[in-house]
Amino acid sequence: MKPNIAQLLLGLVLCITVLLLSIASPFFMTWDNWRNILDQSALLVIIAIGMTFVIVTGAIDLSVGSVAALSGVCMAVAMHAGMAVATAILLGLAAGALVGTSNGLLISRLNLNPFIVTLGTMAVARGVALIITKGIPIYGFPAAFIWWGSGHIGALNPPILLAILITLLGALVLNQTKLGYYALALGGNEEALRRTGVAHQTYKLIIYVICGITAAIGGLVVTARLNTAEPLAGSMFELDAIAAVVLGGTDMKGGRGSIIGTVMACLLLGILRNGLTILSIPSYYQQLTIGIIILVAIIVSELRLKNAWEND
Amino acid sequence: MQKKFLALFLSVIFIFTLVGCSGNNNESKESDQAQPPVEQVADDKVAAAEKILMDQLQPLPEFNQGEKIGILVITLANPYWATLKESYESAADELGVNVEVMAAPTEGDTKSQLETLMAMTAKDYQGLILSPVEPFNLVPGVVAANKKDIKVVNLGPGIDVNAVKEAGGKIDGRITVNFEEQGQRAAEYIVDKIGKDGGKVAIIQGIPGAGQSEGRTAGARKVFENTTGIELVSVQPGNWDRNTAYNITTNLLQAHPDIKGIFCCNDVMALAAADALTAAGKREGRIIFGVDFIDEAKEAIGTGKLDGSIAYSMDAYAKAGIILCLKTIQDMEVPQVNSPLEVVTKENIQEYQNWH
Repeated sequence: MKPNIAQLLLGLVLCITVLLLSIASPFFMTWDNWRNILDQSALLVIIAIGMTFVIVTGAIDLSVGSVAALSGVCMAVAMHAGMAVATAILLGLAAGALVGTSNGLLISRLNLNPFIVTLGTMAVARGVALIITKGIPIYGFPAAFIWWGSGHIGALNPPILLAILITLLGALVLNQTKLGYYALALGGNEEALRRTGVAHQTYKLIIYVICGITAAIGGLVVTARLNTAEPLAGSMFELDAIAAVVLGGTDMKGGRGSIIGTVMACLLLGILRNGLTILSIPSYYQQLTIGIIILVAIIVSELRLKNAWEND
Repeated sequence: MQKKFLALFLSVIFIFTLVGCSGNNNESKESDQAQPPVEQVADDKVAAAEKILMDQLQPLPEFNQGEKIGILVITLANPYWATLKESYESAADELGVNVEVMAAPTEGDTKSQLETLMAMTAKDYQGLILSPVEPFNLVPGVVAANKKDIKVVNLGPGIDVNAVKEAGGKIDGRITVNFEEQGQRAAEYIVDKIGKDGGKVAIIQGIPGAGQSEGRTAGARKVFENTTGIELVSVQPGNWDRNTAYNITTNLLQAHPDIKGIFCCNDVMALAAADALTAAGKREGRIIFGVDFIDEAKEAIGTGKLDGSIAYSMDAYAKAGIILCLKTIQDMEVPQVNSPLEVVTKENIQEYQNWH
């Protein structure tokens, strides 16, 4: 029961925010605008779901923003070298998986600190992206690639559908499979898991690969949407993603997490950014507001834990 | 326990409302304050620049119709765009239109800038004036604005016209300064000051790929490469960022202690370059030139910290942008408009004291 309080609360904040914004501006509650919000939140949802898996193990992955940039750059270079769009996309995703694998191997086999390892791979991936492009953004891709960022599927678009698909998959894996169960157990008590003879290192590795791939899918979306592969794209993505995961009720110490909470938090951040723009509030205040909301969420989450302890 | 949640929850809402309100208050305050200066302080130089622009904009549209125009600049964290915002707001008061100026949170945030534009297209603006971070990032937003019959004017750095066309959209009007000419005239001054002996020079760019950065670099490069005795030793991306430019300058000094001139694609980076040289005790005898003539540069040229900058009147530029947008809204024909340039150096800084 207890973990649900965070999501209930988040849902309530979400509703009130929507209510306030729709009273404050007649332009907020239109389908066009909601489509914008969904479109903008999609990228964060995709990356944050990978991040949720890492954070429930009690770890962190700082490399996701750089991975998004690197995979976008790989796709761009492949396409400009004349490769088919599908091949180029697979190559980009492979680059993401590769960085994820390196993270996973270093952390699980050598038992290194995830914060430091991913800080390192963050710089490595960014550096490689800069070297490949010589610092200059790559422009102009085939229509079949741009479709992934700004195409139309009925009333929705590919990024939104990708986000929905990844959400469903993520929820399924975290709640219904052995991988999800062990991910939570890794965060709860890794030692106990190890003693039961589970191949905990392998599961850890898989989790970082998942995070690398979702970051690469994020790279696909942002590159296709802007029709530009920028080596500096995705800076701060990791912080947005971590903020969304924590806001969604996942415990930074691991062992407890929720995909639905993460998605709701992404939506809340998306709605706030959109709403503040609709209300013509300068960008300075947007950052301030979002910062305060994150702080309040963490305070609530900590207080709840304390209460849970006392009640036990 | 439940009470505690309620309290915290209410404080979230409270903070949100508070921030929302203070944001609105601030805006109205700013536009109140922005009213008076426009015509009073305008001196001959500004008037001359304004006349050149207005001549290009004939016949003028009807004013005081209360049109609503949305303006998207790059970032208010850069003094250049923050100043332009004020110029927009005072010009809007003068012309009797309503403007709202929005921006991306940071200089290179292409994604957020597009998201801000998408949110703006959901509002009831009749026209938009856009200055993109780079040529491609706003293209989907332009198409969205076209679909809602919002006129789109591109001010300053260019939105890629072909990409817009391919995406099925159009730009209704364009106003800019000639970026290549900015780079060229700055470089000519540097070359002239270095003199017959020649020497090493460098260029610090903005964000690679951004229109103003590429244009200024190309203009300066042409002058440097076509002058005998001048050796262009380095062209580095400073990303419009003070700290990056500072570090580049420090590194340049290591590699080329005898460097004689640095052209920076904006003033913020030029000021950083000057700081880096001063800190290394090597400012003497070196020429640092920027672009934009922001207030800090005006002061720095006066004290000799900076050798010069390329100026164009922000007030005239912003006003011309709004007039051009009005013309598109009122379905008048629009020309391509270029803002005139001025080379400001320590020799003529006195004439530009009231420039804005």
